[in-house]
Amino acid sequence: MGVTMHTRTRSGLARLAIAGVLALGFVCVNAHRGVATEYKWNLPIGFPTPKVPDDNPITVEKVALGRFVFYDTRMSGNQTYACASCHKQELAFTDGLPQAVGSTGQMHPRGSMSLANVAYAASLAWANPLLLTLEQQVLIPMFGDNPVELGLGGMETELVDRFQSSARYRRMFAEAFPDESETISVKTITYALASFVRTLISGGAPYDRFVQGLDDTALSESAQRGARLLFTERFDCFHCHNGFDFAISVTFAGKPIDETSFQNNGLYNIGGTGAYPPNNTGVYAISHVPTDMGAFKAPTLRNIELTAPYMHDGSVATLDDVLDHYAAGGRTITDGPYAGDGSKNPFKNGFVHGFSATAAEREDFINFLKSLTDHDFVTSPQFSNPFTGQFCGGDCDLSGSVSVNELVTSVNVALGTATLAECVTADADGDGLVTVDELVAVVNHALGGCPATTASATTGGNE
Amino acid sequence: MARSLISCLGRLLGGLLIIAMIGTAPARADDGVDVNGQCVGDANDDGRVTVDELVSAVNNGLDGCTLSPITLQFRANVGDQPFACGTTYHGVGSSAVDFSPSDFRFYIYNIRLLTAAGEDVPLRLVPDGVWQLDNLVLLDFENKVPPCSQGTTVTNTVVNGLVQAGTYTGVRFTLGVPFSRNHRDEATAPSPLNLSGMFWGWQDGYRFLRIDGFDAAFDAFFVHLGSTGCVYGSQPGVIAGCSRPNRAEITLYHFDPARNVIVADLGALLANSDVTANAANTSPGCQSDPDDADCAAIFENLGLHFDDGSPSPSTQTFFRVE
Repeated sequence: MGVTMHTRTRSGLARLAIAGVLALGFVCVNAHRGVATEYKWNLPIGFPTPKVPDDNPITVEKVALGRFVFYDTRMSGNQTYACASCHKQELAFTDGLPQAVGSTGQMHPRGSMSLANVAYAASLAWANPLLLTLEQQVLIPMFGDNPVELGLGGMETELVDRFQSSARYRRMFAEAFPDESETISVKTITYALASFVRTLISGGAPYDRFVQGLDDTALSESAQRGARLLFTERFDCFHCHNGFDFAISVTFAGKPIDETSFQNNGLYNIGGTGAYPPNNTGVYAISHVPTDMGAFKAPTLRNIELTAPYMHDGSVATLDDVLDHYAAGGRTITDGPYAGDGSKNPFKNGFVHGFSATAAEREDFINFLKSLTDHDFVTSPQFSNPFTGQFCGGDCDLSGSVSVNELVTSVNVALGTATLAECVTADADGDGLVTVDELVAVVNHALGGCPATTASATTGGNE
Repeated sequence: MARSLISCLGRLLGGLLIIAMIGTAPARADDGVDVNGQCVGDANDDGRVTVDELVSAVNNGLDGCTLSPITLQFRANVGDQPFACGTTYHGVGSSAVDFSPSDFRFYIYNIRLLTAAGEDVPLRLVPDGVWQLDNLVLLDFENKVPPCSQGTTVTNTVVNGLVQAGTYTGVRFTLGVPFSRNHRDEATAPSPLNLSGMFWGWQDGYRFLRIDGFDAAFDAFFVHLGSTGCVYGSQPGVIAGCSRPNRAEITLYHFDPARNVIVADLGALLANSDVTANAANTSPGCQSDPDDADCAAIFENLGLHFDDGSPSPSTQTFFRVE
């Protein structure tokens, strides 16, 4: 009874507050409708601004919408898979499998790549020099049928209908793409998705805090020694893993010349011919140029601790095994259909020459690799599944609390003078509208704090 | 009314012009034939230029050439039977087995009609916002009836165009999507280049031809034709060329547009292929992979050289006239 009374009192208070806030909301009304909200990059120190295609400028509305799309099983033919099914945040947007499995159970010849810092990738996918933009790339998992990934081939009308049937999506698409005649289309779905994925930036690892001078204790002595090994001519890792992203072929806004780069690292040498297993021949499959056999992209080393197993086909289980591979200058397979001495692959990159390292050096090096694990990145609510229902109503920035500004924004979302993207959590039931009851909840959260179970960025511990 | 007046004026002017020309005609500087070797002005190719032909030419000069609407009929077959989703055909391929097609679509462009004299007359397509775009058209014979699950319920078996009035005895077209349209953003492309079933994203282009199907053991056999070996040039993100364009130039004779239909015959296409077998370690059927031995016979029947993807019209058996 007491509890009921309490709630009722709180509810009454909230309603009173809403009257005031609604008035405030009106005061704050600006010419917002139809105007996209500029997305402000929150970039780690030393990170350049990502390149964004001219025809898909990044906005708060597209990013918020793309997050929903990324986690939505509407995105597979049989509605069992979302993009997130193979790109899980806790694994730096990989899936832990050697080779990905699509929505219909079909095996992909290659493993799901990490999406960390994919905005900076000069080319997308493991071995495709033709895929230069995320807008172009997302069509492959969606519609490709060899292999089937999301399995949407031939279903574009149904896909659009699925989004059209949701009031929340109707509003979010309309607000994200105010200039499109058809606000929900394959184009807008892919553009929103690309916009969200572009924001998956990882640069908050202990290594970063150390080199940015934010925390001198972030990197152990051992990891510091390991980092130096990366840049030695003995290890020679840096040729393919360098710069802020520890990757090769990186692009960013204002870079006038883009380079794509693919390397054969001596993983196979079937029958001594240089051949790689069929269906996994690398760039050769696209170019048919013999010397492109086994050429794959050197991925970022960021979060590498979380993205096992390694290499394009997941055929190397642990970081220790990866070190063995490079120390030997290639992998020797003694029997079976793929037998051959990878270190003698005629198309191998010359920097994969093998090296000797002491046990202590190996430990240092692996400690360095582990210092590239970005805890904030893999726990950030900004990148998390918006459908879990664990968010606090009115907590627009997912910080774990509702400020007065967020209250005002929630009211503006209710009034239609702010876009839903500016505060998706205000719409607790996901119907695209913020009702008075939902505003009551927002006020209660502002006054009494968010429920303890809700997600917040503070879990990262480094905000 | 206005038209007949112009025509009448044209006749009058034409007559005057002809008289003037006869009176002032200079000594001939050439042999009077056009680039195709045809007598200039001899529209009906009977070896002489009549006053009527001269009047037509003058009228065309005055009010532009008049084009007549024309419809070309297409049909998909498996051997001598029409293709239909859900039908299993017997005696398909070199092993003469049962085969169930589950998709049948292709793009053609640059369609020309041939006069008896062998002259190419371009067909101007009538844009319809759906199947026809510039000089490109998608012919789509599947109707999404199972097992054609990847397709669309609507079909298109005709090409609607405008052509100079005349007598035509042949047809010529390119199987494929023109290079200028093949490497653009598929998500934003206009119809019919926005159908995901025809996307070939990993090769940055389209499937020119998509035929899917399976044998009695439900083992898939696909024929997907498209450009491969494509590379970017100096301009970022712009494909400069493809080492294997894989665009077939089709020429069919003894074709009267009013009476005949152009048949695309899957039976003929697979005549030299065993649809129950697949070259080891390759995609099922032929996906235009130069290393896939299953493609050799299929490319030949499409009228393509398998070694470089250039046209080989003399080996073409996929299309015929009925």
